[in-house]
Amino acid sequence: MRRGVATRDNDLTVDTTQPPAGTVMTGVATIKDPGQPAKTRGPARKAGKGSWALLLLAAPGIIWFFVFSYAPMAGLVVAFKNFSVSKGIFGSPWNGLDNFKYFIASGDAPRIVTNTLVLNVLFLAASLAAGLLLAVMLNELRARFFKRFMQSAIFFPYFVSPIVISIMLQVLLSGAQGNGGAVNDMLGIFNLPQVSWYTEPGPWPWILTIVKVWQMGGYMSVIFLAAITSIPEEVYEAGMLDGASRTKMAVSITLPLLRPTAAILLVLGVGRIFYGDFGTIYAIVGDNGTLFSTTDVIDTYVFRSLRTIGDFGTTAAIGLFQSIVGFILITAAVLVQRKYSKETTIL
Amino acid sequence: MSALTRTSRVSNTSSKTAKPKPEPFTVASYIGVSLFGLFSLIPLWMIIAGSFTKESVLAQKGYSFFPSEFSLEAYQAIFGGTALLKGYAATLFITIVGTALSLCATAALSWVIARRMPRISRPLTVFAYLPMLFSGGLVPLYLLVTQVLNLQNSWFAVILPHMMAPFLVFVAVSFFRQLPEEILDSAKVDGAGELRIFFQIVLPLSKPILAVIGLFYAVAYWNEWFTALLFISDPEKYPLQLMLQNLIANVTSAAQLPSASAAAAPIYQLRLALTVVTIGPILLAYPFAQRYFVKGLTLGATKG
Repeated sequence: MRRGVATRDNDLTVDTTQPPAGTVMTGVATIKDPGQPAKTRGPARKAGKGSWALLLLAAPGIIWFFVFSYAPMAGLVVAFKNFSVSKGIFGSPWNGLDNFKYFIASGDAPRIVTNTLVLNVLFLAASLAAGLLLAVMLNELRARFFKRFMQSAIFFPYFVSPIVISIMLQVLLSGAQGNGGAVNDMLGIFNLPQVSWYTEPGPWPWILTIVKVWQMGGYMSVIFLAAITSIPEEVYEAGMLDGASRTKMAVSITLPLLRPTAAILLVLGVGRIFYGDFGTIYAIVGDNGTLFSTTDVIDTYVFRSLRTIGDFGTTAAIGLFQSIVGFILITAAVLVQRKYSKETTIL
Repeated sequence: MSALTRTSRVSNTSSKTAKPKPEPFTVASYIGVSLFGLFSLIPLWMIIAGSFTKESVLAQKGYSFFPSEFSLEAYQAIFGGTALLKGYAATLFITIVGTALSLCATAALSWVIARRMPRISRPLTVFAYLPMLFSGGLVPLYLLVTQVLNLQNSWFAVILPHMMAPFLVFVAVSFFRQLPEEILDSAKVDGAGELRIFFQIVLPLSKPILAVIGLFYAVAYWNEWFTALLFISDPEKYPLQLMLQNLIANVTSAAQLPSASAAAAPIYQLRLALTVVTIGPILLAYPFAQRYFVKGLTLGATKG
């Protein structure tokens, strides 16, 4: 490290002594090792100025992260306090683990934790599978315009807001005044019994999973398709020369080569498994209590108890519990993924 | 690169022999993709068709695939009142101001991280990365905005909590790192300061990635409703999404939406029309913007 810096200093002196010819020199040098240290290791006055300017550039971002990411982390002390608005975060008395005990005693913990895990596993598995399948199929399409149009159509739901999704679901499932809806009419055609979807908690994990596939299938397929295009053409040439059919090539070449990408998405998804998809679920289910038994996740529970009960201490305790378990899972996921692949670090 | 051109020539010759008969898998792919495409678009179509269908038909059937009895009643009601204008104003303010702030802060911070300055860039990377792993959650944020910053009923309460997305910071970083070092160095030699390099060289070179990031932020702000639900209680300041959410949660409030003259408001049709109006801009911008999103996603996915 130190030696490297020293040699770069030497380069720099060469540069400064003969500037016009030196430009070419720096160009060559930077290809080997980026010569940024020159910026701080140059003449002291100039270096100081440079880093000041850079800090100035970074300042808004740094301040934002402090206020909106790090301060709330510190604010989690509320979880250990008997919080009252009038006394403020620091004035409220400590109450140890009472908030956690209260949450556990409420008996809701097993339900919302199970729901969060079950729903997320369903979402993850279904959207990954859909994305993978779609990408492989899209890769088969040769008609340019058709392919592009379909890709756009499939990617579109990703940009539809949760509120709009919930309206679409109402059109499909309940109709204008809870009488019918398109799906029930479809069931009627096949002489199947009508379902009053919004009072029946049973099918909702599946309904939400379908919504998730609708929403994320295209997104996932974009990522997988990018991975497919990075597969070297030679591999397919070899397959073709060996007389492999396109089915065979999809199964024996494309899918195995997509495994790393799928693994990364899976690992990162597992890391996020403790965070419910709050926006979509709350927009769809809202405060419809009859559906809570299968759809209430940690995030919706936290939000509702904050809004309706206004118990900051207990709510923060649940949030802290979620953050800690979530942190452990995500960190583990990132570590696994780092080990697994150097190609992708952040997704 | 030369290897690529070579293989493409090979593929041309071999594909000539493979072309004639479409294989079953290819056929299945066309069918599968078409079905998923339909699946993706049908809900949208039903909303649009429903918004043009007479309320009486909707009340009876609940939906419509095709406006059997065409009606513009809902749109007339929506555009007749001022509520929609207010909603649009709120959403536009949040989207435009929010995107501008986000873009500036994100680009600047990302550039400093990408610059690989000793003792600055590394800690900053960790600093921006940690929030992706651990967050304070809802309660501290709520207390921060309502008790400390006192931003209730301000549109900034919707903007500020989402101002920076760590994911997009790292997308920008990975783009900045691909900029040719030589240009920066020659600028340095010519005596340009860090700020000048950033504003006059880096930013103009980075227009494509700024477009990508700006679009991601803009869509997020446009669709944001939950922060608005938390912090905005004054109906006069509701953004579109919250107006819509309110309309689902409470059908009676639909009567307040159009001007008072619409006594027998076509509530259900209104809901669909408002939905169309809400996703309209996204629908219009989507064909142009879509490839940028794909670019941003793949950049973040493969080069992070």
